[in-house]
Amino acid sequence: MAEMWISMGPQHPMTHGLWTLKVKVDGETVVDTEPDLGYIHRGVEKICEARDFTQITTYCDRLCYASANTWSHSYIYAAEDLLGVEVPERAEYIRLIAVELQRIASHLMWLGAYGPDIGNLSIMVWCLREREMMMDLLQELGGSRMHYNFPRIGGVKRDLPHGFSQRAQAKLKLFLNRIQEYEALFDESTVFLVRSQGVGYAKPEEMINHGVTGPNVRAAGVDYDVRWAHPYSVYSELDWQPSVERSSIKGADCYDRYRVRVEEMRMSASMVLQALDKMPGGSETYHEPGDPKILAKAPSRAPEGTYGSHHFEDSRGESMFYIAGGGEGRGKMPYRVSIRSPMFITIPYAAKCMIGYKVADIPAIMGSFDPCIGETDR
Amino acid sequence: MGKKISPEAQQKAAEELASFMSDVDGVSAKLDSRSSGTQVRHTVSATCTPDSWRGLAQMLASEHHVDHCSMITGIHWPEAADKTWEVVYHLMRTGVRDPASIEGVVQPNITDAESLTGSEIPMEIQISISLPDTREPAVASVQDLWVGADWNEKETWDLVGIDFEGHEGMRRVLNPHETPVGYHPLQKQHKLRYHGFEEMYDDAQGFMRKPADAGKIK
Repeated sequence: MAEMWISMGPQHPMTHGLWTLKVKVDGETVVDTEPDLGYIHRGVEKICEARDFTQITTYCDRLCYASANTWSHSYIYAAEDLLGVEVPERAEYIRLIAVELQRIASHLMWLGAYGPDIGNLSIMVWCLREREMMMDLLQELGGSRMHYNFPRIGGVKRDLPHGFSQRAQAKLKLFLNRIQEYEALFDESTVFLVRSQGVGYAKPEEMINHGVTGPNVRAAGVDYDVRWAHPYSVYSELDWQPSVERSSIKGADCYDRYRVRVEEMRMSASMVLQALDKMPGGSETYHEPGDPKILAKAPSRAPEGTYGSHHFEDSRGESMFYIAGGGEGRGKMPYRVSIRSPMFITIPYAAKCMIGYKVADIPAIMGSFDPCIGETDR
Repeated sequence: MGKKISPEAQQKAAEELASFMSDVDGVSAKLDSRSSGTQVRHTVSATCTPDSWRGLAQMLASEHHVDHCSMITGIHWPEAADKTWEVVYHLMRTGVRDPASIEGVVQPNITDAESLTGSEIPMEIQISISLPDTREPAVASVQDLWVGADWNEKETWDLVGIDFEGHEGMRRVLNPHETPVGYHPLQKQHKLRYHGFEEMYDDAQGFMRKPADAGKIK
């Protein structure tokens, strides 16, 4: 049969955003793929060159609408490296809580979107139900539902509000029970297993060479995680292990990538509970905004020739910011901001992963890598 | 307590790697201790001439287990004295290996962070390459060593206009495909100005209302 190119997207249920996947098919078999990105390129890197360091945080929130906090924190760490700010320990705990709650919310959004991809609509409703609890908690911290603008250079915007600790504990305990519902729904659903097991194999060394990181690599049986390999924040004070799956000998399939994210949600919930217990000053104490216990003083200018960089474990892999100082206004603005988006590098690899499988496997494989086009196109 | 690479071991590994890298002609590498929140990260920071870049990259990939090209940044410095273009590579040594299997059952790699030594220790490497004033800046591509560099190089050319010699399949990735030849938006001749909200809209509040402090100095 003759081979032909078909275009999936930019409006397609498989794409989880605006982009095109060109697929060359031979009958039902995928023989070649070519991703085409850039539909929602906003030029964030260029915009940042005309903003001062505090204004950039809001743009970073908007890089990924499902995982805003991880992106703004990623930027803040790089900016603190550039400006040479030491952060109070209590602020680091609050940040950890915000980031890990966001990771749960992001994985829930992924799981909720992945279910309908492969024919299970109930999981979406269930996941959004629990995501709502996480968003309520994050709203208490940041003040808004999606784009929190929560971290500050040198600390955080606000301390934990009164009663946050009890509410977080109650919700996370409920959430830990409800994860079992997802597992019961997915792991015993023949449709889910048939469509996710045995497709989209990916091996770890190959993935790292292709620039794929984060949960997608941990699904293949390696425990590489930026949180311990390049330590930041106070993760080393908590009792945790990166979630790792026992994949098949051919590498991780879509089912392993689902499992690792479910385990990661458990781990994040446990981290938040531990951080609430261990926080210096106690999670019940409240400091006014701007108190030196939660916000250190930071310079507002970075001279020319300085730079700051930071690797960060985003919900989707390793994100990174590189900031060169010495821009306009005698260093008030950055000269160059460069953003590493994990999905920008992963999408071409995921597209390669599909070769050899059937057209019907494309949504299952693509969805399992957790694409997010907001950060990809920047 | 929790899993963590010890800063001392990372510092030692960074110093070792920096001394290996400095042996290459045209490369000067040093230990670079960066801060992240309350912690210190020890990394390697290097500068490299365009001619020795390809050899350095090959040595890092084959001898020092540098297995991950994280990010490539292009910077346009039209007013700097010593360079007009700069390419900054962020490479990583992750230590990821395919897990072994016993009788067909995969045994996941669980690393003991405390016991890692030498080249097993995860490392960040930043390599900066300055390019002279030229209309067609270019450095050697490392697409074949790290496939992850492929789309990073495409993006750097697309946005900044720095070309990569030997890169196969160079094309626009973020800008539209029909973008004019030679238009690279992150070059500094394309200016961007910050607009305050009062100059962006005639009526900042909407609904033709006036703010309470209209006309007063803000």
